[in-house]
Amino acid sequence: MRGVIEGGWEFVIAAYVITAVVLLGYAFSVCWRLWKAPRHDAGR
Amino acid sequence: MRTASRQRTAVAVALAGAAFLLAGSGWGLFKAPPEVFMGEVQRIMYVHVPTAWNAMLALSFAFGCALAFLFTGDWKWDSRLEAALEVGVVLSLLLCAQGAIWAKPTWGVWWDWDPRLTTTAVLLFAFAGILALRGFVDDPVKRAVWTAVAVVIAYVDVPLVYFSVRWWNSLHQLQSTPETVSRAFHWPLRINAFGVLFLMIGLVELRARLAWQRRAAESAPPLPSGVAVATGRL
Repeated sequence: MRGVIEGGWEFVIAAYVITAVVLLGYAFSVCWRLWKAPRHDAGR
Repeated sequence: MRTASRQRTAVAVALAGAAFLLAGSGWGLFKAPPEVFMGEVQRIMYVHVPTAWNAMLALSFAFGCALAFLFTGDWKWDSRLEAALEVGVVLSLLLCAQGAIWAKPTWGVWWDWDPRLTTTAVLLFAFAGILALRGFVDDPVKRAVWTAVAVVIAYVDVPLVYFSVRWWNSLHQLQSTPETVSRAFHWPLRINAFGVLFLMIGLVELRARLAWQRRAAESAPPLPSGVAVATGRL
């Protein structure tokens, strides 16, 4: 045991895939809800 | 700035954030060297640390919006509060998932009740709880005031999360900043930090727009029944 981690690419890929899925999924969810929301005003 | 123009700007800022994230992640995955002890696993830092910074930034903005609403009573702050709260919860959830994936190969466990992880779990459940409970209050005034007060109280945990690794004996490493990480890791970390920041700003603006429209729909005068059915309001 040398105290050095070898390999581990599967964890790296999992972290990046989860990041992409969560951020893209949330961004699409916001855009979709905004598209479907009733429009009542001209400014905020 | 007009509404359509603000929305286009928000989308452009979010897209710029996504482009930064792609560039920074590409650099972190394929160009940056592996770390001496953690090897390839350390590459998770390039998404985990920017997510942590921006989760705390989003919740800090929610705290600022809560105070602004309580002092001014201006509804735009309630919309921004709801938006920042939701984005902060999403980033905190993502932060915990990334952290668990990093913890398994480095610590040997997915989760440990050490001070940093425990305070982060408290943060996630507190703010997610406020967001969930907000949906159950029908009166807009009570909903806005209760949310603002609850966010101000829950925000006490944010500095606890940040300083937990310094104040207590924690399994988690110290905060990753340009001073605590090697120069070889700076650029992908910085690019991704700005990527998540721009994405967060764009999403908060769009989500605030949605909150504003929903509140306007709540306070709009009731339509005649035939019109309401035809427009799908009933």
